[in-house]
This record gives sequence, structure tokens and C-alpha cells, in this order.
Amino acid sequence: MPPARFPIPQGTLDMLILQILSLQPAHGYGIAQRLEQISRSVVQVNQGSLYPALHRLEQKGWLRAEWRESETGREAKFYSLTRSGRKQLAVEKESWARLSGAVRLVFDEGSRP
Amino acid sequence: MRRLLNWFRRRDLESGLDRELGYHIDRRVSDLMQSGLAESEARRRATLELGGLTRVREEVRDVWLIRWLRDFLHDLRFSARSFRRSPSFTLTAVIVLALGIGATTATYSLVEQVILHALPVRQPQRLVLIDWKGDQVASGFGSWNLMSYPICRDLQLQDQFFEGVLCRAATTVNLSTGGEPRPVGAEIVSGTYFSVLGVGAALGRVLESDDDATPGASPVAVLSHDFWKTQLGGTPDVVGSRILVNQHPMTVVGVAAPVFRGVDVGEVPSLWIPASMAAEAIPGFDALLMDRRTRWMQVLGRLRPGLTVTQAQAGLQPWFQAMLDEDTRRPGFPRITAERRQRFLASRIELSPAAQGHSSLRRRLSQPLWLLFAATALLLGLACLNVAGLFLARGSARAREISTRLALGASPGRIGRQLLADSLMVALAGGLLGVALAPSALRALIGFLPRDVAGNALRSAIDWRLLSFAFLVTVGAGILSGLAPALNAGRKSLIASLRERDGAAPGGTRLRKVIVTGQIALSLILVIGAVLFVRTLTGLLAKGPGFDTSSLVSFGLDPRKSGYSPAEAGRLVRRIHDEIHASAITQTSAVSRMALLTGGTWNDPMTLQTDRRVVTDRDVNLNAVTPGFFRTLGVRLVAGRDFDERDSRPVGEAGPRSAIVNEAFAKRYLGGRNPLGVRICEGSGPDARPNVEVIGVVTDFNYRGLREQWEQAYFPLFEGDDSGGTFYVKVRGTPDQAFRSIRTIVHNADPTLPITSFRTLEEQVDRSLNTERILATLSGGFGTLALLLSLVGIYGVMSFVVTQRTREIGIRIALGATGASAIWLVLRDAIAMIVAGMAIALPCVAALGRLVESQLFGVTPTDPVSVAQATLLLALAALGAAFIPAYRASRVNPNDVLHLE
Repeated sequence: MPPARFPIPQGTLDMLILQILSLQPAHGYGIAQRLEQISRSVVQVNQGSLYPALHRLEQKGWLRAEWRESETGREAKFYSLTRSGRKQLAVEKESWARLSGAVRLVFDEGSRP
Repeated sequence: MRRLLNWFRRRDLESGLDRELGYHIDRRVSDLMQSGLAESEARRRATLELGGLTRVREEVRDVWLIRWLRDFLHDLRFSARSFRRSPSFTLTAVIVLALGIGATTATYSLVEQVILHALPVRQPQRLVLIDWKGDQVASGFGSWNLMSYPICRDLQLQDQFFEGVLCRAATTVNLSTGGEPRPVGAEIVSGTYFSVLGVGAALGRVLESDDDATPGASPVAVLSHDFWKTQLGGTPDVVGSRILVNQHPMTVVGVAAPVFRGVDVGEVPSLWIPASMAAEAIPGFDALLMDRRTRWMQVLGRLRPGLTVTQAQAGLQPWFQAMLDEDTRRPGFPRITAERRQRFLASRIELSPAAQGHSSLRRRLSQPLWLLFAATALLLGLACLNVAGLFLARGSARAREISTRLALGASPGRIGRQLLADSLMVALAGGLLGVALAPSALRALIGFLPRDVAGNALRSAIDWRLLSFAFLVTVGAGILSGLAPALNAGRKSLIASLRERDGAAPGGTRLRKVIVTGQIALSLILVIGAVLFVRTLTGLLAKGPGFDTSSLVSFGLDPRKSGYSPAEAGRLVRRIHDEIHASAITQTSAVSRMALLTGGTWNDPMTLQTDRRVVTDRDVNLNAVTPGFFRTLGVRLVAGRDFDERDSRPVGEAGPRSAIVNEAFAKRYLGGRNPLGVRICEGSGPDARPNVEVIGVVTDFNYRGLREQWEQAYFPLFEGDDSGGTFYVKVRGTPDQAFRSIRTIVHNADPTLPITSFRTLEEQVDRSLNTERILATLSGGFGTLALLLSLVGIYGVMSFVVTQRTREIGIRIALGATGASAIWLVLRDAIAMIVAGMAIALPCVAALGRLVESQLFGVTPTDPVSVAQATLLLALAALGAAFIPAYRASRVNPNDVLHLE
């Protein structure tokens, strides 16, 4: 029995995808595997929501997609970050840091005697 | 935008998505197989992890295109396909809705034009009608809300409340623009008229204050754009041209702005004449401009910005009170009783919003039009219910398809939306057809109104306002007729519907019964309305005007409008009458001052002298007639004698010497006393001297209109009394021959003298009943249509019930039940629906009764006979419609049914 995992918080999937792609371009399956590796013990990513998210981000102009040969030799759709995608990632990291900082402050307040 | 573009390249997108997902699955499968899974198991796991390929595809597609748009387009395409498969169903639904939408759109157009339409002027919402509430101690002519010209002038000085004040009176003048003079509508207006309304000129200039400064000094006129275009061919050199108004030369100074048609929707003027020329435009009334005690104009004002109607009204009272007080001390103010003086001084000035202008047509038609509109709304509701019923029926026929779609994972909401798309599509088609029908329906509606009233005032064209109304109605109708089926589909449980033998949900039957009950209720209301209005019309027609209209024709002459002096005009009328009297086509003939059955009268209180002095408690309707008037009308003298030469007065004596009253007058004011010899007179003041002897009593007949029973008094009409009037001629032969002969006689006397209102009295009766006729015809039509629709409804639902219960009925019959009991089994249901519908409708009828009361004659809104007739008619027809399927049920052959199992 694997340990219980959290469902991924609403809205964070986009940020994670942007983060993964900021390191190097990848295809959908590659992103799925990276997500799996990175968060194995913590969060559960529903693979079904990965593709709609990719298409949504592409639609917003944060990702760019092209078909090229993958490591298996077969054509795959590779996604990479656009300039505005990079900006968006910075913005999201910023606001995530502020949010988690704020949550921590609230928790600290509550644990005082 | 990008999403919309995606719609066009979705084929590329689809194949790309397939490749992308294929790659994912294949990689996952090979990874899983490496970890030791069998290929089939690996493939199952890979798909499961994605949560189903179809779902992923759906969700990605949602990203591409706004979801509702894609679904909606899809739904519509699906609807169109399924409609092609069942054309008769589609056609029925579309026609039913088209009738409802077309009728509603047409009546709304009339409501809009007559009641709601704001004048095409600057800020119409700042316009107010200024009216006098109370006794003006004045005589008047015209329609309603009248005041005298000098008082309008006084109001123009109240500029702390008004930006400007205008007054106007509608009349008919004989206009010649070169050819023969013809009677046309004209508006006599103050010089402020155009500036207060904010209406400009299309050509030349409009009337200005200077045109209204000195009586008789400004012979100018402004033409309406319509008249200029249609009658004068839109020639630009019209400005400066000479025209003849009642034979008085005037100069055209301009043409008004194109869309402007005066302030009265029922009386569209061809030209505007300044009030300074009132004597020329309205001959026969002296000193109209100076006399404070002759009411003949409507007064409208434009409020100052920031002032409300209530503020301005309150602010005006001190000035008004002071003016009343001053008026009583003016020379020429009539001597009146102290009580009447109190009434005069208690008068108030009242302002009411007048963005739609002033209109007597509106006053007369408002209530009938709203009634018609309500009736068409009911009809539309009924049509929606019918289409809802049709959809439910189709829904049960389609139950298999719907269950299958549910089983394949479509949500109930999705199915519901599909059904709503179906009904919207039908409604749109119905709406298109309805809008296409609306102009002819509207023309038919306008055709009911007298041509001279409606002909140039009401339009049957469809404009954007009407289109948007029709669109809203269409969407509303679509939603209404689709809502029940859609909700029903959403409510259905999958298991239940798959388990059903023939795919019919019991919930559907219940809903359909509710719908049919609603249909019966609505159509009963409409049928009762139809019976009431038809009985009103037939009652009035059967009663008649109280005189003999056969072979009776009438026409009007007003020589003063052709430039005659009153004395000359009187002589001309006398001469023409003598010739007509002597003509071979004439049995008898007479002239009266006022025309009958036109809605107008000459009325005044009277004073009677018997053993004491009595003042009538209400106005008496008066007329002046030549000897032979009653004989011409076939009205019987019940006592005394008709006027003759004895009643003509000696030279130098003013006023009549004798009078004839009707039975209603004798009954109300003289009780059982012998009326002959009683002395009476017009007027109610202390100076009224009853010196006119009653010499005859006639039976009651209608004067103002067919509904009226009123006290009447007649004075003799002799040469010199009057200079125009309405001729009544009892003719031999056909009216057409008579019209020709009369035309020749008048033409020989003066070729330029126009004849007005030339018609038979039968036509006149018809015209006076046109409101009743509209209501009776249309409510009758609506009632019939409603009845048919609900019969179709009840037949449909009963057939459905029978089909559904065929097996049960078959078994009952196999077990020995009789055919009659099978019929009863089905009819019981129908009777329950009919009774429930009636139980809903009858209280509504009682509640709605007060709204129609004033339009009825001879019946009350809850007249038991009418209600019983309508109820019986509906019940019998509905039972008849239900009997056909019931009879079919009784013929069920148990063998066949059980075999079917």
C-alpha cells in the first residue's frame, strides 16, 4: 500500500509544468514522468489533466510546441517555454513564495502559547 | 478570437492531439511492460491513468473552443438533423409557434404605435400635459383636456417651471394647393409649438413666436413632410408658394422634419397653422383668441431641467388660484350660482407626463389594445404549451436514443440542453415565419379601424424595435416550450429508463397531463372572453341605434370652410337641402347641427320650469334639427308634434321658441307629469330663463354612440341659425344612385364645396362599433385557435396514455372487462384534466372580469349564461377529442396484446 498522497492543489499544476519546462523542452510523457519523479512521495498528479493544461498554456502563449524526433526515434510534440512563459513563471513563483510565507506566519501565530 | 479561429482548423488540431496522446500511451505501455506487465494489462493501466482517452480529448477540445459555443453549434446541428427526420412534427411545432409569435408581434406593434411610442422630439420625457381639473365655466369643442387660448398664454409666462408652453388644436381645413380644395387634417398651434418640441424644418423654416403675435396678421403655414412628399411630389420650390386654406390665401414658409407627425397619433396633420389665424382655420367661432371661456386647445409644456412633475404642479397652484380669482372679477365672466362659483374656485391645475403627446385615439383604444395584447400573450402561452407537449411526445418516442446517450456518459444536463436547443431552433424558425406574417396580420388589424383614423397614422412596417421584441418573444417561447421536456429529461434516472419496456417514463405522462390542464385553463379564459365580446357586438347590433338605418344616408357640408360668410352659408345649405328634398331619389330628408353616432355631442345642463325651478343634475345632449328629422330617422313621436313653420321665430327674436325632448328626459326630470307645455332652456345659471316650450316627446334613440342611453333635447333648425350641418336623406333605390344624385346637386350649387363623411347610416353604425368589432372578431379568432390547440393537446396526451396502457387494458378485457369500462378508464383521466383546467380558469375569469367590464354591453364579465356556454363548449369538444383514443382502447384485442409480450 503506497502512502497517502495529496491531490495536487488547484492551480499549481500550471506552475509546475512551467518550472519543468524552464529547465529544458520536453514532450507530454516526459513532463508526466518528471512530475512523477519530483513529487513521488508528496503530491498526486492526475495525468488526465496534464494535456488540457498543456494546451491551455499553449493557448495563452506561455508555451510553444513543435514536433521533433524523441529519444525513441519517434516523432513527439515537444513543449518549450516562451519569453512570456518565463515571465509568468517568475510571477507565479513570487506569488507562491508570498502565499506560503503568509500561511507560515499565520501558523506561527497560532502555535504561540 | 483565437479560440474562434480554432473552430476552423479543428481537423488539424484533432489529428495532432491523437498523435500526441498515442505517443504518451505507447511510451507508458512499453515502460510498464519493461517492469513486467503483460501488454493488455499495461495498455489498460496506461489508459486508466489518463482517466479515459475520450475525456482527455473532450477537455482539450474545451480548451480550444469556448465550451458553450462548441456545444451549442453541435446541439443545433444535431437538432437540425433530427428535425429533418421528422418533418411533420417540425412543421406543426413551427406553425403553432409562428401563429403565436406573429399575432403577439402584430398586436404589440399597435400597442407600441398607439400607446407607448414617444414623440420623435427633443427629450420627450420632459414634456407634460397641462390640464384643468374642475369646472372651467366655459363652453368647449374638441376632444379632451381642453383649455382656452388666453389661459395658455398665461401659462407661457410661468417660465420658472417651464422652458416653454405650447397649445394646439386638431381640426380639418379645406386645403387647395392649386387644384380642387380637399379636406385635410391641420393642427392650429401656438408660435411656441415647434421650439418647445424641438422640431426643426426639413425645408425653409418652422413657425415662430412672431407668427402668433397679432390675430389675422400671419397667413403662413408649415407643411408636413409626408404631405409634401406624397401630395406635392417633394418639389423644393414649395417654400414661398401660395395655398388656400378654407379659401384664405396663405404662404408656405417651410416643411417640418421628416419623422414628425404632430403630437396626436390619431390625427396626423398635413399642415400647421399659427393660432393667430384661428378665425380663418376654424370659421364660425369669433374671438377664439380673446375668449377665456372657450376651451378648444390642448396645452403641453416642457419642464425646466431638474424639476419633477409634482414640484412643478405644486409650484403652479398659487398662480392658478390667483388667476381663478381674477377671472371671476373680469368683465364678461358669466353669472353663475354660488355653488358653481365654489366649484370653479376649487379647480386645480394638473400636470401629467406626455412623452407620447396627446391623443384621443389612445384614450379610446388603450384598453381594447391592452386586452388584445393580453389575449395574444395567452395565445402564445398556449402555443408554447402545445409545442412543449409535442416535444414531450417526441421525447418519449426518442427515449431509447436518450437512454443510450445517458448510458454512454452524457450528463442529464447535457441532454436537457440538447432538448432546449431543439425547442430554441423550432422557436427561431417559428419566429422568422411569425415576423414574416406579422405585417399582413398588422394590416388586417389596422383594417378594422376607420380608415381616416388609422390610414395615415398607423404603419404596418417592421422596424428594429419590433424585430427585437419579436426576437425576445421567440427566445422566451423557445425556452418556455423546451423547459418542461428538458427538466423532464434531466430528472429521469438512467436505470429506470433503460428498464422500461417501451421507453416511456411515467413522469412524462404526469407532466403532459399538467400541460394539457394548463392548455384547457388558458383556452377556457380565451373562449369565455370571446363569448362575452361576441355577445356584446351582436347585442349592440341587434339593439341598433333606435332608429331605422335602412336606405338612410348622411353627409356633412361646411360652406364656411370654403370662404362663405355665415349668412351666405346658411342660404346655400337651405338651397341645397330644398333641391335634395325635391329630388326623385329622396323619400324624406332633414338637416341636423350635430352628426349622430360619431362619439361627439353638443351638451349642456338645462333648467326646467314646472311648478318649481329644476336644474338638470347632468348635461343633456342637445341638437338642432329641421322639421322632418324624426320622420327621416323613423323615430316615433309619442306625444305632441314635430317642428313646423309655427316654430320659426319672428324677426329680431333670438333663441328657439320650442323644443322636443326624448322619453328618457321626460322620465328623469318630469316623472309622470305631462311634458307638453313645460318650459325649459339651455344653461343652469341664475340668469337662465326657461322660456322654451316642450311641444313633443320622441322615443329614445342613440346620439353619441350605440351604448348610450341619455336625456336628449332638440331645438328647431331654421335658416340663419346655422351655416352648415349634417344632412340625413332617406333615399329610394340604392345608396350608390343616391350618392351620385346628391353629389351632382352639391356640385351644381358650388363645384369647390367638399362633401365630408358621405356614407350610409349602416356604415356609420359599423364605424361606431369598430372597437367592439375588433374585440369580437379577434377574441373569437383567438378563442377558436385556443380551442383547437387544446383539443390537439388533449387528443395527443390521451392517445399516448392509451398506447402506454394497451397491455393493461388488454389484460383487463381478457379478464372480462367490457369495452365501456375501458372507455371510462381513459375518459376518467380526461375528465380530471378538464375539471382541473376549469377549476383554474374560472377564478381567473372572475378576477380578470373587472378589466373587461367597460368594454362589454348587455353582459357582465361573469355572465352565467356566457360562462356556461363557453365551459360547455370546451368540455364537450375536449371530451370529444379524448373519446377517440378512448374508443380505440375499447377495441383492443387481448390476443394481440398478449401476443406482443
